[in-house]
Amino acid sequence: MAKTVLIADDSASIRQVVGMTLKNAGYEVIEAEDGKDALSKLDGQKVHLVISDVNMPNMDGISFVKELKAQPANKFTPVIMLTTEAGEDKKQAGQMAGAKAWMVKPFQPAQMLDAVSKLVLP
Amino acid sequence: MNMADALHTFLAESRALLQEMEEALLKLENDPADPDAVHAVFRAAHTIKGSAGLFGLDHIVDFTHEAESVLDRARGGEMALDDELTGLLLECSDHLGRLLDIAADGAEPDEDDAAHGAALTRRLAVYLERFGEGEQLPVETGAAEPRIDSAGPGPDGVENCAWHISLRFGRDVLRNGMDPMSFIRYLATFGEIVHVVTLPDAMPPAAEMDPECCYLGFEIRFRTDADKARIESAFDFVREDSAIRILPPGCRIGDYLELIESLPEDTTRLGEILVGCGAITPRELDEMLAIQEAQGGEKDEEGRPPLGEMFVQENVVQPEVVDAALARQKEVRGRQAQDSKFLRVHADKLDNLINLVGELVIANSGLGMLAARNKDGATMEAVSGVARLVEDIRDSTMRLRLVEIGETFNRFRRVVRDVSKETGKEIELVIQGGDTELDKTMVDRIGDPLTHLVRNAVDHGIEAAEVRAGRGKPAKGTVWLNAYHESGGIVIEVADDGGGLDQDAILAKAQARGVVAEGDELTDAQVWNLIFEPGFSTVDRVSNLSGRGVGMDVVKRAIEALRGTVGIESHAGRGTTFRIRLPLSMAIIDGFLMSVAAAHYVVPLELVLECVELPAGEGDADNRNYLNLRGEVLPLLRLKEHFALEGERTGRRRNVVVVQWAGRKAGLLVDELKGQLQAVIKPLGRVFSGLRGISGSTILGSGEVALVLDVPVLLEQAVQKEDYVAAQRIKSSRENVRVARTETADQ
Repeated sequence: MAKTVLIADDSASIRQVVGMTLKNAGYEVIEAEDGKDALSKLDGQKVHLVISDVNMPNMDGISFVKELKAQPANKFTPVIMLTTEAGEDKKQAGQMAGAKAWMVKPFQPAQMLDAVSKLVLP
Repeated sequence: MNMADALHTFLAESRALLQEMEEALLKLENDPADPDAVHAVFRAAHTIKGSAGLFGLDHIVDFTHEAESVLDRARGGEMALDDELTGLLLECSDHLGRLLDIAADGAEPDEDDAAHGAALTRRLAVYLERFGEGEQLPVETGAAEPRIDSAGPGPDGVENCAWHISLRFGRDVLRNGMDPMSFIRYLATFGEIVHVVTLPDAMPPAAEMDPECCYLGFEIRFRTDADKARIESAFDFVREDSAIRILPPGCRIGDYLELIESLPEDTTRLGEILVGCGAITPRELDEMLAIQEAQGGEKDEEGRPPLGEMFVQENVVQPEVVDAALARQKEVRGRQAQDSKFLRVHADKLDNLINLVGELVIANSGLGMLAARNKDGATMEAVSGVARLVEDIRDSTMRLRLVEIGETFNRFRRVVRDVSKETGKEIELVIQGGDTELDKTMVDRIGDPLTHLVRNAVDHGIEAAEVRAGRGKPAKGTVWLNAYHESGGIVIEVADDGGGLDQDAILAKAQARGVVAEGDELTDAQVWNLIFEPGFSTVDRVSNLSGRGVGMDVVKRAIEALRGTVGIESHAGRGTTFRIRLPLSMAIIDGFLMSVAAAHYVVPLELVLECVELPAGEGDADNRNYLNLRGEVLPLLRLKEHFALEGERTGRRRNVVVVQWAGRKAGLLVDELKGQLQAVIKPLGRVFSGLRGISGSTILGSGEVALVLDVPVLLEQAVQKEDYVAAQRIKSSRENVRVARTETADQ
């Protein structure tokens, strides 16, 4: 069974490219525009990996991850946070919320695929 | 869905963001402090940058990066968005739009576009430079505990070409969503896992075990062609709370040894050598240094375990590699030892020493006076012996503070290069006398005025290439920076072979501003000096470079604050030379002491040309302000009247001290000549900062205070006075015209 990855980013182009790259590599992909959208699309179901932007409207990445980790099904789900700024305070807040993996934008699709496969192989 | 669709989405998204950015920038033009607008601009830039990377649009990423850095500063409140910067950012946003159009056509930017982008980036870089780009992120010192069991390199033979990886994951690795197995599986994507040993040593009894914790360690033999950094990167996400050791295979040692030999000369640290050849990764080095510091205490070099041994002990690298690196280190250090004959000393220590020497000078002259009063010949002789030594110490101490001006001069290569690029002029900078030494304080403070003069020379001095061709000059303009010693001071020249100052324009401007009355006859030097008037600029167009509201008056003031003067020599069509004269030192000088009524005055000895007795009848009869010195007419400044001193004059005869500065001479009329002394100059209090003609004070051996005369200013005043008197005479008597002209011409 293919592994499921959820990508939450307000930039449609990032969602499209990341989604396409992962689908080509054999993952199932769920796309969401922000934290709120992601939570409603998940609806308590388990995913194998979450990729989330930090700055998003409605619900930002850090609050989203906090809520995600509170769900029993996703307690152990690895999270990759996307950010343009490698700010230490943001990073710490994210780690408190349970996001250990960070990727700094801009990245190449291949880099993203490499990072994802370190955590979950398809 | 395919890449073309995604690109389309990106372009539409980016164009919308650019629109937002432009609106926000226009808002900022009215209200530069609007934080929302600043944030909106920043956000637009960084979103575009973030997405562009996905499509391999590297030129957009690179270009946006610079703007983003500037905006980040602005967002943090470190940088104000003035009109100029906002304008620049608008240009950047236009350029981004163009780049997006090009990307939409599937084309690459052509040369013109690239050049335009580069120009914008350079202008942005100017802002970043001003705020010290290159911030350093704090180095994360790995807090991982190395609990490595003795897992030495495997037995020789077939397995010798496999890497040895020791993994001890953190307890929370599972809770963080990381599965240890996923990393091992990932390793298998670029190599062959030969063998895995699972170490359950850390597993507690079942009753105490937390099923959500990871207690296992792994020893892995791994065969791959990838390098150490690639293997290490597999554990990027767990590195912070895990202990990971990666030992290169035995068959790699030969490669490392070869690489160590070929490293550049300037690597002297063991860690850098090992990182340089790839035997360890930068992260391993940081981690080991942190452990070393923790074990060896704060600054105790001796108590620390040697880094090389630690690497071997921790199974990070083989002993052979460390030995080779150590040998290399020794070799390079030996070569560098010869360069290390210089001492770096804190400037405060030197200043303190100079102060003490100053006190010593004063104390010694007090002693000398005491001996003289008691008519104690032997003591006087001893004191003069000490005085000679003190003088030597003073000179050596002062020399400690001297630095070569070459380094300051070299800075201008960049300034000239940038400015000439910006103005499109071809300009060469010629530096002469870079080894001329002057006081460190002055070197530090002369930089800004020099920058202004050099920029002026390039921007206004050197003409455009067409004009130069018309005048028969080479197309390439030249700017000279020159320094040399001259009569106890130092002269710095900034010269150009440009068009020279426009006398008519300066006069017209001065008349328009009311600085000069119409019909006034001014000498060349007087006309040139007008440009030092506050707010004076003959350039109608305010250029980016020089017209920043800092006028030549600031340059003049800065130089005067260093007890220096600035003069101009200009020839129409041939160029302009600014000549800055500075005293050698600012703290202790050889002075000449004299007295007027009850007051003592000191002038720097190197400015004194001669002392003569005022001939009887000369000057006394009428209050003449000039002096006939062996047929030469000099302005005469009567210090008693000039400083409005009260009290009777002392001494039987009156003396004239003839001083010279910058080619001008004048006589100072005083009562008594007291002779040479070493004067420790103390600055005047703030209250007296506006005082003209006196530059400081000094304490005499007797405890009395003497004022240090500011000769350049006094000379100026003497000449002005004489000019005025001469002008009066021209009016009153036509017969005297010829005489008066001779006098003015002399000055």
